[in-house]
Amino acid sequence: MIALSESAKPIDDVFRALSDPTRRHVLERLSKSPASVSELAEPFDMALPSFVQHMGILENCGLVHSRKAGRVRTYQLVPKRLKLAEDWLGRQRTLWERRLDQLDTYLITLKEK
Amino acid sequence: MTLWKPDPKLDLVLERVVDVPRELVWAAWTTPEHIVHWFAPKPWTTTGCKIDLRPGGIFNFTMRSPEGKDFPNAGCVLEVVPQERLVWTDALLAGYRPSEKPFFTAVIALEKQGKGTRYTATAIHRDAAGRKQHEEMGFHEGWGQCLDQLVAYSRKM
Repeated sequence: MIALSESAKPIDDVFRALSDPTRRHVLERLSKSPASVSELAEPFDMALPSFVQHMGILENCGLVHSRKAGRVRTYQLVPKRLKLAEDWLGRQRTLWERRLDQLDTYLITLKEK
Repeated sequence: MTLWKPDPKLDLVLERVVDVPRELVWAAWTTPEHIVHWFAPKPWTTTGCKIDLRPGGIFNFTMRSPEGKDFPNAGCVLEVVPQERLVWTDALLAGYRPSEKPFFTAVIALEKQGKGTRYTATAIHRDAAGRKQHEEMGFHEGWGQCLDQLVAYSRKM
């Protein structure tokens, strides 16, 4: 049970980080390629300090990783962290849903042949 | 005309729309060569499947656990309306012989929708316990990998 409560914390942080639309948007953007803070902040009508705070939440829970080169801080996605959330959601699926997911994937490959 | 009435307390009903012609969906549900590719949730595999597509015909499949243990399932085809409806059950064996452990009846209904297909898979159970058991089966086995595959696949689309 101790192991369970310990392992519950990172996933709590991940879901908390995912609960905000700005942060989700940033993750979507980073799934394409790494980007600097100014690039990431550009689509948002938000003061930079507030935006940097969002980035801090994403980095603290391990969803993104940053590196500073000169005056530019570049962020990149850490897919392994996101997998925590994916796995949790996956566990909530039923046998039949999983089965039909596989069927649909298989049907698409059949259709392409 | 449908004789069965899904009961949300007892049955599992899943509806999907796929952008695939109905003939292909029907083939995937009714031919062993196709069924072995998708029927078992990975990392489980379907190691064997035998279908005689007519009322009273055999509907058997064997699922293998990640540890290599085989779980055979024997059933009987009840109704076949090509491209439209397939009904089978494990309450009977081939030739309508009553089985030892009746658990569920499956109704697969297909409908054309544009160029694609809407299909409904219904698992009919005797009681709520049966439904729950079915829902939880394989629940903790291999979900991660299956979802990985799905996510990896959907990224390619």
